[in-house]
Amino acid sequence: MGVKQQHYWEDVRIGDEIPSLHFPLSVARLVMAAGANRDLNSIHHNSEYAKETGAPDMYANIIFLYGMWERTVREFMGLSGTIKSVKEFRMKVFNTVGETVVTKGFVKKKWQENNESLVELQIWSENSRSVTVGPGQIIITLPKRP
Amino acid sequence: MEDWKKEWQPMIDAIGLNFNEGRKQWGADSVERGSIRQFLEPLEFDCPLHYDKAAANEYGYSDVVAPYSSLFTWLIPPYWEPGMGVFNRAERNTPVTELPLLVVSTDLAPPTPFYFATNVEVDYIKPMTVGDRLCRVGDVLLSCVPKETKVGRGAFLTWETKIQNEKDELVAKIRLETYHYFPHDK
Repeated sequence: MGVKQQHYWEDVRIGDEIPSLHFPLSVARLVMAAGANRDLNSIHHNSEYAKETGAPDMYANIIFLYGMWERTVREFMGLSGTIKSVKEFRMKVFNTVGETVVTKGFVKKKWQENNESLVELQIWSENSRSVTVGPGQIIITLPKRP
Repeated sequence: MEDWKKEWQPMIDAIGLNFNEGRKQWGADSVERGSIRQFLEPLEFDCPLHYDKAAANEYGYSDVVAPYSSLFTWLIPPYWEPGMGVFNRAERNTPVTELPLLVVSTDLAPPTPFYFATNVEVDYIKPMTVGDRLCRVGDVLLSCVPKETKVGRGAFLTWETKIQNEKDELVAKIRLETYHYFPHDK
């Protein structure tokens, strides 16, 4: 767990898999996430309220789910990498309490532009039944080998 | 067009309009080290850029840097301020009186009781480091698409907003899509 190594642009190949991470969603975790990221809409920490809104149960908020992608990408790219943009972070299915969100992805493209070494990653989240978020694209910068 | 969709026509007509031209909408708090630490907890996000100033300095940041995904956290206005009363009823599921989340208030849209975020896109321009204070500047309506879904009838709204820090520097540009709806009858 944690950021263990630095990825260099030269070493990244199109099609490389991005290591998956697992995020089990307990009530305690969803409550902690809502408090920490300040999205305190009751749909994210109160099952009864969430069901009143038509959802099957309380579900992870967008900031928490976005953080899962960021941690996945950070552990892949290392401390020198930066995120330039995130596209199509689309939530298709509620990530409800009791599910485990699994992040997945691969390297889609790499190129150089304006003295930056860029890589496009395709990322998505799944639960036990389907893709729940994405697939989206994250463009990162990576350092070149010294 | 079905009748319920016609209720969204004023919003469709407003596509391209900046609903908050020139207005700065500040988040509740500055980017703070303790708040960043709390942000990391539910994610079990072990990255020293977010908790170790020396590590952040080594990688070119002036101080501990906030996670990219925490951008929205620093933009959410306070739920309570001096003079306000937001917890007025004891019923179990009563939410706070008003959610200050990043939704644009307008009389042009039907008064839907519920909404949730469905899509986000962000272009990052400048890192967010400890001490920064962020605000939204302007909310341009990019699209309004009425649609019936599993949870109800409503519309998907997409807004584009610029994010600046206290020095008026551009930090990011976000496009946030939310679904606003009346739930189906049970």
